[in-house]
Amino acid sequence: MNTLHQSAKATSRLGRPISASVLIAWLVYLFLIVPSLIVVPMSFGTSNELVFPPQQWGLDLYAKALDPAQGWLSAGGRSFVLGLIATGLALMMGVPAAYGLSRTNFFGQKALSFMLLSPIFAPTIVVALALYLYFATLHINGSMLGLVMGHAVIITPFLVVTTLSGLKHLDRNIENAAMVMGATQLQVFFRVVLPAIKGPVLSGSLFAFLLSFDEVIVSWFIARSDQPTLPVKMYSSIQWEVSPVLAAISTFLVFITVIVSLVSAFAQPENTDGF
Amino acid sequence: MTSKLTLHGVSKRYGPVTALHPTDLEVREGEFVTLLGPSGSGKSTLLKIIAGMELPTEGRIIINGRDATEMPVRERDLGMVFQNYALMPHLTVFDNVAFPLKIRKTATEEIRRKVHDALKTVQLEHLKDRKPQALSGGQQQRVSIARAIVYNPSLVLMDEPLGALDKKLREQLQFEIKELHDRLGITILYVTHDQQEAMSMSDRVALMNGGRIEQIGTPRQLYFTPETAFAADFLGSSNFIDATVTARTSERTVCRLSSGEEIAAPSREGFSEGQKVRLMVRPEHISLLGQAVSADRNVLKGVTTGTTFFGESAEIRARLAAGSEIAIRIPNDYSLPEAEPGAPLHLEWDVRQTHVFA
Repeated sequence: MNTLHQSAKATSRLGRPISASVLIAWLVYLFLIVPSLIVVPMSFGTSNELVFPPQQWGLDLYAKALDPAQGWLSAGGRSFVLGLIATGLALMMGVPAAYGLSRTNFFGQKALSFMLLSPIFAPTIVVALALYLYFATLHINGSMLGLVMGHAVIITPFLVVTTLSGLKHLDRNIENAAMVMGATQLQVFFRVVLPAIKGPVLSGSLFAFLLSFDEVIVSWFIARSDQPTLPVKMYSSIQWEVSPVLAAISTFLVFITVIVSLVSAFAQPENTDGF
Repeated sequence: MTSKLTLHGVSKRYGPVTALHPTDLEVREGEFVTLLGPSGSGKSTLLKIIAGMELPTEGRIIINGRDATEMPVRERDLGMVFQNYALMPHLTVFDNVAFPLKIRKTATEEIRRKVHDALKTVQLEHLKDRKPQALSGGQQQRVSIARAIVYNPSLVLMDEPLGALDKKLREQLQFEIKELHDRLGITILYVTHDQQEAMSMSDRVALMNGGRIEQIGTPRQLYFTPETAFAADFLGSSNFIDATVTARTSERTVCRLSSGEEIAAPSREGFSEGQKVRLMVRPEHISLLGQAVSADRNVLKGVTTGTTFFGESAEIRARLAAGSEIAIRIPNDYSLPEAEPGAPLHLEWDVRQTHVFA
């Protein structure tokens, strides 16, 4: 009886015509995702050109990508370290900045928060040029320090935004209660606020890391040509020779992005449920 | 008894708006004092000033003998219970209650013992490893109460702690808080807009209105001898009747209604013959029984306009000969032949239950 009932329900669900808006949504989604996924089969080809579908299958491109002489490994390592440090720096600036903005009221607050978020609105090429000129006077162009600072500028606003959204869900009276019970401002921040918003902060950090990891424009201006970041090296290799190794690298990047997005998706709902 | 909290002329102004007029208040050790008032009466402002979340414009705050006027919140030695519990979502019940002790760097063994005792007091030991969001509203508020008493603060502030709970739980927790107060001898300053809550729990009630304390006294004083029409109206139910003072002795003031009927009330300062006044009598003090003619009873004629049945009591509404509507609360221990609409009524009550207001 029960199974009959269920199967009837299933057919009616299947039988329901898919609405036009759902269909369009799926088409758009496919349109967006297929170009990214097309590199996956291509990366298992063996020819010397980028072709789809591959004529022959093999792992040659991966072997090439992992060959230290090609420089992909060191570029990847550089991007990874850069992403970590820049994210760390953005965390240290963005989280306290968001807390300060959300919990105080002072003259010029609106202007300050607009300035903090402006790297999101400003064209990246403008930000990159500005940083390049500024770093030239500081003599840090071409250094890891310059890259870290440039990336921190680009990604901090995203951490501010995700932290602000986490703070919006946090009852102010929880902080008041902690203060009445004897906690100092610092204790309130580290023992009450930070643990309560760790979900949004974590997913914001992952997002910030991804942004840094595939950032091209700022890095293009600041990185030394013989010490490129991974995206910069990919971009320049496309300019000179369309190497099929790119397919293997891209597949690797898609894989990383999917992993990070999954982690962040699982970190988020657990937190919002908590309130 | 020593004073746990003393306010000297504490006031708060926001630009041209006065949220709190200069206010004096004293809460003695072990006392349960309630700030009662409608929203916007200044009770929350006063509580925030005492807690240190707002600074007073003028005046001094003394907590447990120390001048706390400009003291940071954390040094005031207060406990606080909030309406929405304000428990830390990432900590277990045990760790929530342990929080103030950990801040005070109490020894681990002592924390364990004190938290255990506090949770036992509110009967929640068995839930100590749960997260707050896994508890019901009533349980969360009991955790928050345990957290406010575990470090033995000078004064526990409670800001509408039962406001988010349903009626039955509210009554249950009222009883528990009162019982906790009596048993542990803690000093409580309680804020509510619920007059029934204030009357059933408090040693003294400070009735607030328009940014000042309108009247302060025991629940009985406020109920039986309200000093203003607002106090009479806010605590308990009340009937107001317009009248004019016709005669006055040191004991009694006699007033005439527009119908020509006369009502006597105990004399109070500040009324003179010919003055327009409002008389007040509570619905539950009026009886329908007799035509008992006595100098100690007031008698009025009226006509029934409707009845509402409440179970343990009934309310009869009547139109007086003088024109105004009046409510009568009577216990439901007999049938009510007079209760049909249009039936004439003889209303009667004790002169001492009559109040005169300007």
